[in-house]
Amino acid sequence: MATTLARPPFDPELEAVLAVLADMLPPAITPEMIPMLRQGLPGAVPIEDVLAEAGVERVDHTIPGHGGDLIDVSVLRKIGHAGPGPGIFHTHGGGMIIGDRFTGIGGVLAWVVEHDAVAVTVEYRLAPEFPDPYPVEDCYAALVWTADHAEELGIDPERLIIAGASAGGGLAAGTALLARDRRGPALVGQVLIYPMLDDRDATVSTAQVDGVGVWDRTSNVTGWSALLGDRRGTDDVSIYAAPARATDLSGLPPAFIDCGSVEVFRDEDVAYATSLWHAGVQAELHVWPGGFHGFDQMAPQSAIAQAMIAARDAWVARLLAR
Amino acid sequence: MQELVGRITALDPEVSETLKVITYFDALVGAGAGIDALLRAAATLSGVTAGIVHHDRVQRRDPSGRRVDGDPVIQAPTRGIPGGRVWLERGDTHIVGDEMVVERLALAVTLTLARHEPDAAVEIVVDADRPLVDRVAALARLRMDGSRRVRAVALPLDDDAPGSVPLTAAAGIVRVLLDDGTRAAPARGGVGPWVSADRLPESWDAATTALRLTDSAHPMVDAGELGALLLVAKAFDPAAPPEDVTVLAGLPRRSREILDALVNTESLRAASAALGMHHSTVQARHGALTQELGYDPRSSLGRARYLTAELLLRLSER
Repeated sequence: MATTLARPPFDPELEAVLAVLADMLPPAITPEMIPMLRQGLPGAVPIEDVLAEAGVERVDHTIPGHGGDLIDVSVLRKIGHAGPGPGIFHTHGGGMIIGDRFTGIGGVLAWVVEHDAVAVTVEYRLAPEFPDPYPVEDCYAALVWTADHAEELGIDPERLIIAGASAGGGLAAGTALLARDRRGPALVGQVLIYPMLDDRDATVSTAQVDGVGVWDRTSNVTGWSALLGDRRGTDDVSIYAAPARATDLSGLPPAFIDCGSVEVFRDEDVAYATSLWHAGVQAELHVWPGGFHGFDQMAPQSAIAQAMIAARDAWVARLLAR
Repeated sequence: MQELVGRITALDPEVSETLKVITYFDALVGAGAGIDALLRAAATLSGVTAGIVHHDRVQRRDPSGRRVDGDPVIQAPTRGIPGGRVWLERGDTHIVGDEMVVERLALAVTLTLARHEPDAAVEIVVDADRPLVDRVAALARLRMDGSRRVRAVALPLDDDAPGSVPLTAAAGIVRVLLDDGTRAAPARGGVGPWVSADRLPESWDAATTALRLTDSAHPMVDAGELGALLLVAKAFDPAAPPEDVTVLAGLPRRSREILDALVNTESLRAASAALGMHHSTVQARHGALTQELGYDPRSSLGRARYLTAELLLRLSER
């Protein structure tokens, strides 16, 4: 049931996209929809074609994940890569419940090509079959593997960043916290794209985005419940699963955070940037007016999506330049 | 967007895809998007660069939404707009969806330009969101006094009546015509009640609802004749119809004809005569239909329920 709570209006171009998508993409995702969503979207371009068009080659590796179980990672670099170059460790999105390591890879490929970087993207195991801490521990294990193999992968270990969108943004933030606390691989930046950080469902933005837009309040509760089960919203949740719960963000790498003004994650993302500043960590924050969750991927042609992508690319370029 | 909606070039000219194009442009115009956004929409939907020339100024956008500089080599298909032209840069290859895209682009651009014209007087005088002072000023430009008796008429978009202007209404893009008593009744359309000219938004609101109630059996609907039923129609959400409407929608055509006769005649005998059926048969059908509906359509309350449901069904069958 849609709420009557006031919320900022959608950007006109994005509102039109929502009107068209209304019958294909319901705002509220519930647990019984997970199997259907895992089948992927009709008409999606095969990853081989995406990589070929970008001039990027892919090498897969099987590595030990959480508990030593084997998981897959893909190494992506420009054909003819002259190493060592910057490294991008990527954690994909999908609400902790759907997607694979190529979900949302387009933005990462642009950096691979632009900066002759090497990306490693991890096939972490998904909830609810593999609840917390599997996803974030799989990500951390793959980050350690990446740092350990930096030389052979053609990565300059001094220029390794972590990047992820949505649930992948939350996992990137959680993995960065693990790397800090376990004195693991050094990261020079964290790109947190509309990250999913808070399991508590208590912000104004989650109340505002209920039954509208993309990845609404119900969807978010579905994702967190799959990850945490009965622990969702209780005191028994780690800062690595829900980084919004961290009270000390000191010692983390500089962060880039962006989101839309009409999405569930708005308030937790703004709060995370604020907490980073409070802890003395550099952070750049963009809240794009009238944006719904993931609008840059769903409406890349819109003026506001182009501005969002340009700001993100510029931050990465400044960080990786030398 | 491209992945989810699918490029029009790859699709059959199915009704659903046509509707998506219309929905997309209508939503853009309704949300107040600019020319730039409309061009990007056309380029994204068609998969080729879209352009406009308006008062000698050329703007072009490619399917990824980026600006394209320079002068276009290809401008086909194309459509005229006031003060210029819009086009897709497809060329000789004919793609079925293109015509629809360029058609809606031209219409959306025309509406958007009109919105910014200083003399968009007709649009202003029916717009409830405009302050009274703006509307009175616009009436003056139309040489109308605020106390003049006038009514708004809503016409289907394809009715190009002289003096009518395309306009975005709640149910999509339609045409508005002001009638000061000198206009002939339209063949198809919704007519608002007579009001003083400074209250035209009320008349326009009723006229658009009346237009939605038109169908082949009722090509012209006068909101003034609906009275309080107009409020029921305005409150109706086709996405969540009340049970009276869904039950009626589920009946076979013949049952609906029998119901119509039962409600609109004085007696069962008269209904039988109108239907050309035997009296006892109609009596039996009356009993069965009372069961199906859950009320007796010949009782006074039942008549009201049936007529209301029938009216709302017209809104949902559009």
